[in-house]
Amino acid sequence: MTQEERRLLWRHMRMPALSFVALMVLLAVNVALGAMLPFGHLWMVEAGVTLCMVLVVLLVSMEVWRDTPLIRVFSMLGFFWVVILFTMTLTDYLGR
Amino acid sequence: MAEAVPVGIERLEHFESVGQQREAAALGMWAWLLTELLLFAGLFLIALILRILHPKAVTLATTHLKFWIGAANTAVLICSSFTMSGAIELSRLGWQRGMLRCMLATAGLGTLFLCLKGFEYYEDFVEHMVPFLAQPYALAGDPATRLFVDVYFVTTGLHAVHLFTGVSILLVLTWMASRPMFLQKHQNRIEIYGLYWHFIDLIWIIVFPVLYVLNR
Repeated sequence: MTQEERRLLWRHMRMPALSFVALMVLLAVNVALGAMLPFGHLWMVEAGVTLCMVLVVLLVSMEVWRDTPLIRVFSMLGFFWVVILFTMTLTDYLGR
Repeated sequence: MAEAVPVGIERLEHFESVGQQREAAALGMWAWLLTELLLFAGLFLIALILRILHPKAVTLATTHLKFWIGAANTAVLICSSFTMSGAIELSRLGWQRGMLRCMLATAGLGTLFLCLKGFEYYEDFVEHMVPFLAQPYALAGDPATRLFVDVYFVTTGLHAVHLFTGVSILLVLTWMASRPMFLQKHQNRIEIYGLYWHFIDLIWIIVFPVLYVLNR
């Protein structure tokens, strides 16, 4: 592989490599929290870390951030429905 | 030296342009993925409601799940997402041989995940943590735990079915992509399939904390 090809490959693989590292670090945080249980109300931190991981996969790995506006809206709409589903159901269970 | 082959998409007659064809394919895959998202979201919601209604029973059941196998499997799927991204990027460059290697590595990691999952189910069976089988259930004293364990098996089983299907399709796609002219006519198929693989990864990234980690 020539120097030019190596540079071209890195330019293409930079974002996947960065997202891979980010996902591994975030997973390590969640696993460490789950294994050590350092303090109470851990679920808030764990849920936050999970949300970050989902956003990395969605925006970077699935390339939603550079898709056309139509696909971007379409993909976000599905998650919006999930938020409605969770909000309405949990409002009932948590408000009883 | 990497030998680049020409890359492109063969326009079908009912599309005005290649760009329109590419966007329609991505939109179609997203439409399907969103129905899958809502299917899994229902299961995640059930797990959370069980945690609210029966917190002690769920914590008890969670301590019997194989936390470290779940964590290892999450790492395996993140690695497979990286190799799938590699296959997509190499397909854009026209580096067919490298792309095929990345696709095979992805299928291999998917198979490793299924093997670990199978071992986990075996361990559950040995520990009498499979309440729907005709054997004594380890937590029979607390019936509410059964609800959570059932959700665990339905969710992880459904995910495993998706992964098995994904590996099978990926192997067929790899065989198709190994033929000459594939990248010249159907490069976007790699990208479209990549969406599905990343989505399986995304679902597991939610499954792991919801079932194994939260409030252990």
